[in-house]
Amino acid sequence: MNKVLEMSGLTRRFGAVTAVDGIDLDIVAGEWVAIMGPSGSGKTTLMNLLACLDAPSEGRYVLDGVDTSRLDDRERTVVRREKIGLVFQQFHLVPYLTAQENVMLAQYYHSMTDKEEAARALAQMGMEHRLQHRPSQLSGGEQQRVCIARALINQPAIILADEPTGNLDEQNEEIVLDIFRDLHRQGRTIIMVTHNPEMGEQAERVVRLQHGRVEAADPTPVTP
Amino acid sequence: MAAISLQQRQNLRMFLRILLQSLRIRKSRVLIAFCSILIGAAVVFALLSLYFDISIKMSRELRAYGANFFVGAAETGQPTLEADVYRRVLEQIPATRLVGASPYLYGVARLDLGNAVLAGVDFTGLRRLSPFWQVEGKWVAVDFDEEHCMIGRALARNMALKVGDQLRVFKRETGFNQSLTVRGIVETGQAEDDQIFVNLSLAQKILGQPGRINHAMLSILSRDFDTDALAARLKEQLPGVTAAPLRKVSYSEGKILEKIKGLMALVAVIILAATTFCVMTTLVAMVVERTREIALLKSLGAENRSIVRQFLIETGCISLAGIAGGMLVGFLLAQLLGQAVFGAAISFRIAVVPLTLTVSLVAALLAAIMPVRMALRIAPATVLKGE
Repeated sequence: MNKVLEMSGLTRRFGAVTAVDGIDLDIVAGEWVAIMGPSGSGKTTLMNLLACLDAPSEGRYVLDGVDTSRLDDRERTVVRREKIGLVFQQFHLVPYLTAQENVMLAQYYHSMTDKEEAARALAQMGMEHRLQHRPSQLSGGEQQRVCIARALINQPAIILADEPTGNLDEQNEEIVLDIFRDLHRQGRTIIMVTHNPEMGEQAERVVRLQHGRVEAADPTPVTP
Repeated sequence: MAAISLQQRQNLRMFLRILLQSLRIRKSRVLIAFCSILIGAAVVFALLSLYFDISIKMSRELRAYGANFFVGAAETGQPTLEADVYRRVLEQIPATRLVGASPYLYGVARLDLGNAVLAGVDFTGLRRLSPFWQVEGKWVAVDFDEEHCMIGRALARNMALKVGDQLRVFKRETGFNQSLTVRGIVETGQAEDDQIFVNLSLAQKILGQPGRINHAMLSILSRDFDTDALAARLKEQLPGVTAAPLRKVSYSEGKILEKIKGLMALVAVIILAATTFCVMTTLVAMVVERTREIALLKSLGAENRSIVRQFLIETGCISLAGIAGGMLVGFLLAQLLGQAVFGAAISFRIAVVPLTLTVSLVAALLAAIMPVRMALRIAPATVLKGE
């Protein structure tokens, strides 16, 4: 099994509050994992740790062979841009850039912008006719597809999606789910935080959090 | 090498796109920052231009307040000097430095209704020496005019004289007895108000002092000119002569210049502080407005130095445009001030350009410190979390 992500005793405290409490979890390449749990269970904190947007108070987090636990802020930024593709619930596109430029933005901070590559990534999301549209000219579903294209453009080791269908209607939710199914079929590693049980059902494995701990789910990867 | 240059070119294009779009969609805030910097740079440019010219211009202005150099007979010698001494003194002073000068010969003469102090002067020089004199009628314009005189306001009142009236002047000792026409009545608020003024040559005849003067008063542009050295040189070259700058006047000139320059510096500092504050608040507002965008850029892998670079270049672009406009406006402002205060144009000095650029850029960069720090403190995990 090719572990792309390993957590052991991962803990994050905010003062006296322990938001993530000693999580041990491994995820193998190509796996689709849904992280679920009620509000306050530590999903968002865990997501931030996995995205290298935050540093653990204790424990170890190895991403694609890099132990990120000891990295400083700048080093975590480098890991984030090299190895992680982020998909947000609220899309977070730059309003004054076109769909294509929003995708190129990730290239810009990663290495080099490439218009054609950005256009191809959007075409894979069914957005080839919307390249020059600004976010305000796109529907929610279209914005989320731009966001996914941006997350994929640098070929990250993992895709981290935070409630990717949380702001979408049923029709767009289905489109986005289809995209994730395709990505999974292509062998992408997807970690998705969601409240939505239907979304959870799509994943190969569900990790349920409760009070910052993994509750009930078997942390061992089920897919080789 | 080619790949690097392609990468740099592509990324530069993207950077410029982000920069221009970012400035374009925040037109109103960019305009506020631009105007603030323009005003600051304009004031700095105008005041610096004035600062460089003020010493020359003020020195000329202050010379309107009377003589600042005295030449007279040494205490040990005779009470009067040869008029030729006065000519030799003038030869020692560059023409460009000499604003005005007049010899003086004093005596008492009998007029129609009583005695009065009679002063023999060089009217052309006196007029330049004392431009603040209030004159009703006209100045005696010709050096060899021995038929006209000017009289002080108090004397004219006491003798019920007005411009154009005839006035008889007697001097028993010399047998002088001649009528003069009052060409002008002067008012100075000082001793001159009780005196009668005639050309030096006429005074020498009336008082029986041919070729003699009591003293001479001079108005010299003293900026960058050592009047003490001139006095020493005159004393050495002309025995029986004493010469000295009028300390009180020269000192006051220096003090006034210092105060005006200090005031200008203070105004410039206050305007720059106001500019800095205004730019800072505008940039802070821009950072607050862009919190999500900055958080997103960080989440996409933008390092702090990229964020700093983007902000500084944005601020730099606005600042450079504002400073360029400010210099143009500042030059016009300097001309307005020059005309209003000195009645003269202010010269364009190339040194003012780099000084204004440096001072204004420093103010703009100081203004950017706090907003940039705010931008660096933005935590994407907090800002971008789902709701």
